[in-house]
This record gives sequence, structure tokens and C-alpha cells, in this order.
Amino acid sequence: MKLPYSLFSRRAFLNSLIGGWLAALGAAFISPLVKYIVPPTREPDQVSTPLADFKDMAPHTVKGFAWGNKPGFLKKTEDGGFIAFVGVCTHLDCNVAFVAEQRRFYCACHEGWYDENGLNVAGPPPAPLRRLAVSVEGDALIIKKQG
Amino acid sequence: MTRRRRWFSILTALAIVPCLFAAALAAWGQDAPTVPVEQAAIKSPVQQAEPAPRPPRERMAVYVLLAWVWFSIVALLGFLRLRIREADRVFHMGLDRAAEKKPKESRP
Amino acid sequence: MNVVRAWIEERLGLRAVTHFLEKKEVPRHKHTFLYYTGSSILLFLGIQIVTGVLLAFYYQPTLAEANASVVRIMTEMPLGWLIRSVHSWSATFMIAIVFVHLLGIAFTKAYRKPREATWITGVLLLGASLAFGFTGYLLPWDELSLAATKVGTNLPKALPFVGAWLTQVMRAGEDVTGDTLSRFFIVHVSVLPLAIMAFLGVHLFLVQRHGMSGPLAEEKKNVKVPALPFWPNFVFREAAVWLVLLGVLITIAIVAAPGIGPKADMMAPAPEGIKPEWYFLFMFQTLKLFPATILGLNGELFALLLMMVGMGLIAFLPFIDNRPAERKGRIISGLAWAGLAYAVGMSIWSLL
Repeated sequence: MKLPYSLFSRRAFLNSLIGGWLAALGAAFISPLVKYIVPPTREPDQVSTPLADFKDMAPHTVKGFAWGNKPGFLKKTEDGGFIAFVGVCTHLDCNVAFVAEQRRFYCACHEGWYDENGLNVAGPPPAPLRRLAVSVEGDALIIKKQG
Repeated sequence: MTRRRRWFSILTALAIVPCLFAAALAAWGQDAPTVPVEQAAIKSPVQQAEPAPRPPRERMAVYVLLAWVWFSIVALLGFLRLRIREADRVFHMGLDRAAEKKPKESRP
Repeated sequence: MNVVRAWIEERLGLRAVTHFLEKKEVPRHKHTFLYYTGSSILLFLGIQIVTGVLLAFYYQPTLAEANASVVRIMTEMPLGWLIRSVHSWSATFMIAIVFVHLLGIAFTKAYRKPREATWITGVLLLGASLAFGFTGYLLPWDELSLAATKVGTNLPKALPFVGAWLTQVMRAGEDVTGDTLSRFFIVHVSVLPLAIMAFLGVHLFLVQRHGMSGPLAEEKKNVKVPALPFWPNFVFREAAVWLVLLGVLITIAIVAAPGIGPKADMMAPAPEGIKPEWYFLFMFQTLKLFPATILGLNGELFALLLMMVGMGLIAFLPFIDNRPAERKGRIISGLAWAGLAYAVGMSIWSLL
């Protein structure tokens, strides 16, 4: 099928071709910059901490540990085991504190409360504190991401 | 140029860009895994530490980028040559100056 | 589309600018290629600004962290080594083209009336570019950086009265310390960019105002030089030049990425074989050649005065060469060639 007239002028076609390809080349130049802007700070896959620091905890008490750049909390349960939480509020990422008298976690930013098992009980937090898997290996506590 | 032709040319150009961009992104794949800091080997007082050995995926991606860059440059030089010849032709024929004169004369 | 254009035109009134650019012409002769140098400098300056900002995202300008942060950029940040490599090589390319630009203008005598002010702003831009190179070189805080900065900031000491003070101002004290690093950093990322923007603004305005200068020979013959319209003919040619330059830059940046040395130790002896960046080599070699005393004067002072005289000659060249078309002009061209041969020769000698 032969068209009676050309859809574009030669000039327009060349301009578009050049413009489009320049854009693609530009994208190729910009892609390393875009990758560079976000550094790869990932959470650690696991954290190992000496058991001795946590062995003598009383049940229902909580002690902190470092989970990468975030605070972590280890809680001694009644049967002598441990559960671990990431101590970051699920509302807007503030660090939470453990209020020992009430056996609850408190987020000061918007007055959010979690019970001693991390379940969100009052205030704006939409979800419980994130759990981490704890295991004892020799004289070290290994804390890993759950699931 | 008529509006229809202009829209056609814009859409064509826009259609090409995402395809090429997607191809570029595919070459990147996932993040480069974190690399341990290179220990500087101080043999003599002025010994430079090499940039750390780069992971193979990243190395591949960088060479793909380089190939794409040069391929694009060659292609663009070709198109630019055509466009420059077009512009020179128009200039030597005096067409742009004629185009300037006509609308000016046709104004009341 | 036209609605948008009309909206912008009503508020910004860019008609004057586009009208001017449509009319702008570029003379066509055997040295037309020199007209590409100016915009190429702009290209590399743009690249420097972008890569510089990106490097500054992770660089920490303190004594304790400077070297470590550069190592972090190169090893941990995705493609950080590439960003740094581009920044380093683009600096070299930019200064190289600045020299080509200066030599092109000098040998075609494009500085003659009425373009003397353009030349002066150009010399200021050259100074700013070299200052960028000098201040940036210290920032990785490795052994070479420290040594080069110590030598460079020591130079003014030979001057009477103000010498020691000048060195103290540059170094933020007697020695090169963390304070020097802070000072060089803020000069590199704030003071010099502002200065270069100001000089560039005036320089570009003057270039547009006076138009592109034609060759001297044509002017003598009183012939109208054939010209090319700036848009679109010259711009598309310029785009081609830019593309090739970009390709060469990124290839060299990937293939010859710079490394980084160990953190500078202020107590350690100077490393062997230190030398400054290539654009300072000829000065470096000149200084090495001068004996300790000449005619009773301190040898270094002599060399320094000689260099200052040279800089003054370059800065005021349009006023010295006020008869470019005549014999005086030809003599000055000859001397300029001799000066260039000296600089190149000294640079090569310092590498041997």
C-alpha cells in the first residue's frame, strides 16, 4: 500500500530519531547514577551475640541488642527461652522503649503501645513488632530473620 | 508540520525509549553484593590501592553499558550527519531565509 | 503545545533569546574546529558538577574519615568507583580543553579589540579551573595528596612580606592539617563553583555580545568570511563532537579507573617520586631547575617571580599585543609558540 504523502518530513523524522536515541543514551548514562544514589545498607541476615550477656535475665525482662542499624529486644520467657523483636514501631519507624513496670513496649512518637509479646495494643501502630528467630548455639545466641 | 504528524513522531520516539531503557535495566539485574574493603598492599611508599575487585555481574553490566554507549554514538553520528546535511542543504538553497521572508510579507 | 509555549512566552519573554540564537552565525574557515572548544569545556564542567555532587553524598571532609569515605565510595557504593573515575578523568579533559581553548584564542588572536574583556574573564576562568584541580586533589587525603598540597602551598612562602601569611591562609595554619582539608573542601564545593558561575556568566555574555571572532588573515583582506547559522547547523555538529568526547571519557573512565593510596600520615617522610597533576608539571620542573640562590636572591623567589611575570603576560596579552596584524603581532605569536614549547618540554622532562 503506497501512501499518497509522507507522514513526516525528513527533518521531523531525523529529529525524532536523534531525540529518541539521545534519550535512550541519556538513560544509559543516568542509570549508574540512579544505582549509586541508594547505598546497599541491608539488614544483617543474622546477628550473633554472647549468651553470657543474656543468660541471667529474669523471665518477662527485656534487654537490648544491635540488629544492624536498628535496636533489637530480647525477652526472656517464663520457660527460660527467648523471643526477639525488632524494636522499631510499625507506625512510622520510631524506636520503641520497654516500660518494665507495665511490661509493655512504648513508642513516644505517637503514644503507641505494644504488650510484652510485641502485639500492638493501643495507639496508632497497625501491626505487632516484627519478630526475629532466636536459637542458642554453644555459647552464642544466634538471632535471624524469621521465615 | 500537521498536528497528526507531530503526535505520530512523538509517539514513535516515546515507544523506542522504554524498550531500550528496559534492555539497559535488564543488564543491571540485581544490586551488586557488598564487597569487602580492599587491603592496601604497601610495597613501596607510593603504592596505590586498587579499587576493590568488582563482582562479575557488575563488570559484565559495565561492559554492556560501554558497548551500548559506543553503538549509540555511532548510530547517532550517522543520524546527525544526515540531519546536518539536511540543514546545510536548506541553508545553501536559502530556503530558511525564504521561509522567513514569506510570512513577513504575507502579514498585512 | 503552542498553548504551553504561549504561556511561557507571555511570562518569561524568551522571544528575545530565541530570536538572537536564530540569527547567530559562526564563521567558516580552516580554524572553525576551534569554536567547538568552548562548549566542550561547558560539557565537562556540567559532568564535574553532577559527579561532584554525587561524590559529596558519601564523602566526609574530616581528617579521620576522608580517606575511608573515598575507599567506601569505591568499594561499597554501587558503581562509586565509576563516578569517581569519571570525576577524575573529566577534570583532566576539562583542563586540557581549557588549554586548547586558550591556545586557539591566543594564536588566532581572537582577543583583539573589542574582545579584551572576554580574554580577561577567560584567564580568571583558567585560574578557577586550576584551583579546582588543586583543591580537589587533596580531598582523598592519601599520601600523594598530602605531599602535593604541602609543596603547592609552600610556594608563596618565598614571596617577601606576604608570603608566609599567604601560605598560612591556604593551609589554615603552619602545616597541612585537618583544617586545611576543611578549607580546601569548602573552597572546592562552594567558593569556586560560585566564582566560576560568575566569571562564566560574564564570559558567555561577552561572547554572545561580540559574536564569534573571525580569523585575522581574512580581516586583513577585508573579505566577508562565509558563515554557518548557529541553529541548527552548528549545534548539530557540536552535538556530534560532544558525543565523541563523552564516549572517549566513559571508555577511559572504565578502563583506567584511579585507585587510592593509604591514608596520609602527617609524620611520615614524603613518598618517593611525588609529582603534581599534569597541568602543574611544567611549573614543578621549572622550580626543580632553579639553584638555591641566583644573584644573591633566593632561587625559589626568582622562579616564583618569573612565573608571576609569565601569568601577567598571559593575563594582559590583548593589551601587550595591541597591533596583532603587524610585525609586533607576529613576534608575539612566535614568543607564544616558544612559551608553549617550553611548557610542553618541561612537562615531558619532569616525567622522565
